[in-house]
Amino acid sequence: MMKRVTYLFLGVLIAACTSIDCPVESNVATLYQVRNSDGTELTLSDTITVTTRTAKDSDTIVFNRGIGISKFTLPISYSHPEDVLVFSFDNDNNSLHVTDTVWIKKEDYPHFESVDCNASFFHNITDVRYTCNYIDSIVIKNPSVTYDSKTVHFYFYPKSSN
Amino acid sequence: MTLRRFISTSILRAAISIVVLSASVPASAQKFFAFQKDSIPTFRGFAVSFDLVGAGLMAFSDNGQYEGALRINLHDEWFPIIEAGLGRANHNDDVTYIHYKTSAPYFRIGIDKNLLKDKHGPYRLYGGLRYAFTSYKVDIARQDFPDPIWKWNTGYGVKDAQCNYHWIEAVVGVDAKIAGPVHLGWSVRYKRRISHSEDGEFGNTWYVPGFGKFGDTRLGGTFNVIIDI
Repeated sequence: MMKRVTYLFLGVLIAACTSIDCPVESNVATLYQVRNSDGTELTLSDTITVTTRTAKDSDTIVFNRGIGISKFTLPISYSHPEDVLVFSFDNDNNSLHVTDTVWIKKEDYPHFESVDCNASFFHNITDVRYTCNYIDSIVIKNPSVTYDSKTVHFYFYPKSSN
Repeated sequence: MTLRRFISTSILRAAISIVVLSASVPASAQKFFAFQKDSIPTFRGFAVSFDLVGAGLMAFSDNGQYEGALRINLHDEWFPIIEAGLGRANHNDDVTYIHYKTSAPYFRIGIDKNLLKDKHGPYRLYGGLRYAFTSYKVDIARQDFPDPIWKWNTGYGVKDAQCNYHWIEAVVGVDAKIAGPVHLGWSVRYKRRISHSEDGEFGNTWYVPGFGKFGDTRLGGTFNVIIDI
């Protein structure tokens, strides 16, 4: 009997090792899918760059020179009620340079996994507005922005004349 | 005297319930649930116990619990038990700078069976089950920090988030008589969450009073000082 109890105690000691369970994918960002007006996925032939203005009043690039893309991921601010993004579109021979501004309204809430994991925020997108120079429309597909990097949050429709 | 008679009646009813229940199960199970036939009375008294592991954690770390238990001895074979405690955590993480605070009571109810053949000897080997519950509030906070892209200063935290947690535990323990009514014993517990709820959408809780740190390990243990009363 004592032998069994000793084995049990050793088993417990081995099993009692601690671990840190932070999510492997801890990036919270928005995913855009480029679409034709008929709803099929479209690959952009033009180059897309996205910038934003920071609290220090300087512009920073959040997506740099995407070419031939049909999906792209953009960051989302931790706790600002509205993100303002400037989309620039260019083509290879420099005959095109168009910009559009996109305003994304959202609600932010802190997300907690463990004291071992960095502070993060999840979001609920409530509204999107945009100028229509290159963009035809942007539609909210899924308003909930979490660790899930596979979920498409926006359908991005460029004008068919582009 | 009346209270004692009431307790004795309740225990007798519980014992009868167990016997009635055992009558509806197969013979091998009946043998497991039945009391050994001998001249020892069914009701053998109460025991109170206090857990030293939780108290030690409380004294020497930033989380732990004070826990006591009241156990009924039925023929040195079956031991219905109620455990209650106060669990507390007040943790500052040096890496993530997140502060986590909670303090709340918790309760467990269950039963142990003495698995030794010699039921009335000075040693006992227990196997048992518990259902446990706690309702608690958590504060999670972090000093303001800049957004990595936009550089705005960002506050983070939740205050007084109401949570509750239900779990079950499988228990294996030993108990040895030391002197007079004093016993010492330890138990190892495998814990399994059965349901939980957190106020709002902030995610998970880290330390749950009575359960311990969630996601750390499902195993826990106690070292008890037990006094027969």
